[in-house]
Amino acid sequence: MDFDPSANRVVGSARVQGSAPKKAPVPVKIIVAGGFGVGKTTTVGAISEISPLTTEAEMTSESVGIDNPGQATMKTGTTVAMDFGVLTIDQTLKLYIFGTPGQTRFAFMWDDLVKGALGALVVVDTNRIDDCYPAVDYFERAGLPFVVGINTFNGQMNYSVDEVRWALAVREDVPVISFDARFRASVRDALLIVLDQALDKAIRMKS
Amino acid sequence: MTYPDPDDPVAPARPGVRPFLQSGPQQPSSGGYTPTGEQPPVETQANSFLRPFVITSGRTDGGDPDIGMETQVTMVHGAPPSRLSPETRAIVSLCEDSPISVAEISARLRLHLGVCRILVGDLRAAGQLDVHVLDNDTPDPETIMRVIRGLRSIS
Repeated sequence: MDFDPSANRVVGSARVQGSAPKKAPVPVKIIVAGGFGVGKTTTVGAISEISPLTTEAEMTSESVGIDNPGQATMKTGTTVAMDFGVLTIDQTLKLYIFGTPGQTRFAFMWDDLVKGALGALVVVDTNRIDDCYPAVDYFERAGLPFVVGINTFNGQMNYSVDEVRWALAVREDVPVISFDARFRASVRDALLIVLDQALDKAIRMKS
Repeated sequence: MTYPDPDDPVAPARPGVRPFLQSGPQQPSSGGYTPTGEQPPVETQANSFLRPFVITSGRTDGGDPDIGMETQVTMVHGAPPSRLSPETRAIVSLCEDSPISVAEISARLRLHLGVCRILVGDLRAAGQLDVHVLDNDTPDPETIMRVIRGLRSIS
């Protein structure tokens, strides 16, 4: 540190570091959602500048109620793991990418998650398309801009983009794209489409 | 409290903080007692996630709704010294060098996100941390444009 406060107690207003006040960057976030094992963590890891970190959120009894009313109350020990990564845009702007489990019963967590989010990428594995339904449902209800990204493992897709769009029955203006979660450029392009959607919405909201 | 302990004759020295519980009971399969430091990583992890809200005195909903996962936190330099629990001290020292998000604190300290939010809120109230809450919740076009430009520039 370039500035060492003296041992004397300073009485009065809060002290501000004189020489170089550290301004915290503005954080923005994009959600990567989808069923188990569709490549969310791979997606996050491909674009993040740090290797993805994992945080755990505890599911409490208040949140469980709807899903399993039969169970004895108490706090269940269920822990939901969330992977996330960071991309520093510049000194004052940081992009966080949160990968989140897509199951309906974790919806309580999504309310926190989507607050202030730019948009979401719903990752789809064509072997198990229905895994992504809860995520699509949620984002439609929440009014969060989202893009459906079909993860083409090794370039393999069991269904075409059109077929997936038909199965999901998403609105016409929701992009359905294919991408490869293993490649940075591919993930970047997918996120850029999410950001396009976010920008559209932000401009609409402003006018 | 969810877990009353009527057999415990002595109340913990610091109210609400019962650090000895954090290591959890020994696993029956571990073959007798092993010091915490020598436990296999998997077990340590399982134990450290046991009953996480003990260190928040059982509070699970005291988190400030303004504190999001991506919210940036910095240390207040020159804050009056105060007695901190090991967890809160660890949080403060993580924030010492540069701004850090609540999610990163949670991940690096292996603290539950909910616990972390509550403790960060406590530390903010105690004047130890600055929590940089954004003025507007909805992202503005200008910021989104900057993200787009930034993303485009990576290869």
